[in-house]
Amino acid sequence: MSITIPIGPQHPALKEPISLRMTIDGEVIKDADIRLGYNHRGVEKLFEGKTYIQNIYVAERICGICSHSHTTCYVNGVEKLSGLEIPKRAAYIRVLIAELERIHSHLLWLGVAGHEAGFDSFFMYTWRDREIVMDILEEISGNRVHYAINTIGGVRRDIDETQKTKILNHLKVLRERTQYYKNLGTNEPSFVARLSGVGKLSREDAIALCAVGPTLRASGVDMDVRKDDPYNCYEEIPFEVCTSDTCDVLGRTVVRINEVLQSYDIIEYVLKNLPAGDVRVKAPRKVPEGETVSRYEAPRGENIHYIKSNGTDKPERLKVRAPTLGNYPATVAMLKNGFIADIPLIFAAIDPCICCAERMAEIQDVKTGSTEIKTFDELKKYSKKFDKHTEHKKDVEWPL
Amino acid sequence: MKKAGFFIPELIIHVFKKPVTVDYPFEKLEVPKGFRGTVNLNPQLCIVCRSCERDCPAEAIEISVVSEQEKKFKMVIHNDRCIHCAQCVEVCPTQPKAMSINTKFEMAEPSRWNMKFEYVYTRKLKEKT
Ligand code: SF4
Ligand code: SF4
Repeated sequence: MSITIPIGPQHPALKEPISLRMTIDGEVIKDADIRLGYNHRGVEKLFEGKTYIQNIYVAERICGICSHSHTTCYVNGVEKLSGLEIPKRAAYIRVLIAELERIHSHLLWLGVAGHEAGFDSFFMYTWRDREIVMDILEEISGNRVHYAINTIGGVRRDIDETQKTKILNHLKVLRERTQYYKNLGTNEPSFVARLSGVGKLSREDAIALCAVGPTLRASGVDMDVRKDDPYNCYEEIPFEVCTSDTCDVLGRTVVRINEVLQSYDIIEYVLKNLPAGDVRVKAPRKVPEGETVSRYEAPRGENIHYIKSNGTDKPERLKVRAPTLGNYPATVAMLKNGFIADIPLIFAAIDPCICCAERMAEIQDVKTGSTEIKTFDELKKYSKKFDKHTEHKKDVEWPL
Repeated sequence: MKKAGFFIPELIIHVFKKPVTVDYPFEKLEVPKGFRGTVNLNPQLCIVCRSCERDCPAEAIEISVVSEQEKKFKMVIHNDRCIHCAQCVEVCPTQPKAMSINTKFEMAEPSRWNMKFEYVYTRKLKEKT
């Protein structure tokens, strides 16, 4: 006999609101259903009412971890539309920040994976080391999380020689620590045993279900936007695409650690070969009519922005496809035939960023299955009506 | 080679290490020079071009006219809405910039209404060259 248990939207194992409905048979998950819409913020509508310059900062706030991914993806698209060629130095600085962000995101994920696997000291050490890269980012851009380094036509801040040496010194420490974590992975049997074989996703499934990023690469598919469709001078920078054939959470961990090590190489290359010159060109406020799609390899996978402009200084439509959304169908496949105890680990292994992926919410009648569209006023009225039905208990006494 | 307890030496070393966290608020970390903290206006330099108001993504800057004849203006910076992007500093056309951002990061107040900065000032006339 199988029963369905709801996990979330508020659940201690999940850091953000999402509802997972698991059909289970004993301990084994037979089917999973992911329901989104608890964190909808209406960002896309907000984009339409703001100018291209203001939208950089809105795009930055789609995600708190890969904030640079969204702005770069957005400004690359806008620059493509207006036919702007950014200076090479600006492109290199964008790459630098992007790779620093990848390091910080992957170290954060490693900690979370350690935590979900019950290895909390690992979580604390990785998060402590992550502070080093956060400090570098703060030093370059002026903020730990929202770097605001991008602007249409280049970057807003240049980096100087002292910053360069500082970054290189910090990198040495970070590289040593990452190497240690990599050795730890191969040497600590309990950690490896917890991760291996969990959340299997075959190569065929990964391709068929359009998985992205480290999830896809851990299933042995060698795909990375930085290599396949280079942007911001990535074609000039030597690096390897890391893959793994184990198709499980262990593979995803290995891919991420290797990617971090690759990022150190990229940063060193960028700092040594930073071209001289300006960091920005003047950009017009209005963008010519047209539409474009911009792709970017965020730490979690491929990020896509679709921009449609109508010749004014505000976009007509901006659609964001965050990498997490691309990984949801694959997550359902990973969860199937797994154990209940593995749910947080499998789910955390795609490095979900739930609020980034919430682009629309649909109101569905559970009984009839029909959908409806409600305006904001109607929703307000509905909530008031709903409020009337709930009984307000007054003068309740504290039982103790 | 796999052996249990690979992590133990690391754990033992950390028993004797100082904590990496600091005792805020008794001890404070220093923020870097270019940190984006609180925005400030220097009213003497402002030419009321309204670029900052136009480009602020959070609608945190409000400029209103107090008196047309005396060229008196009022600028309100809603620090509670500000997202510390420094776009206003970037677009400010004066030299030196009327709008600036300092490294102050402790701006909590008991009420968000205390976070409003108001400046009433007379517009600086463009210097004739
Ligand atoms: S820092 Fe950004 S949000 Fe704050 S006032 Fe300036 S433009 Fe507005
Ligand atoms: S602060 Fe600068 S940008 Fe804002 S109105 Fe004054 S001169 Fe213009």
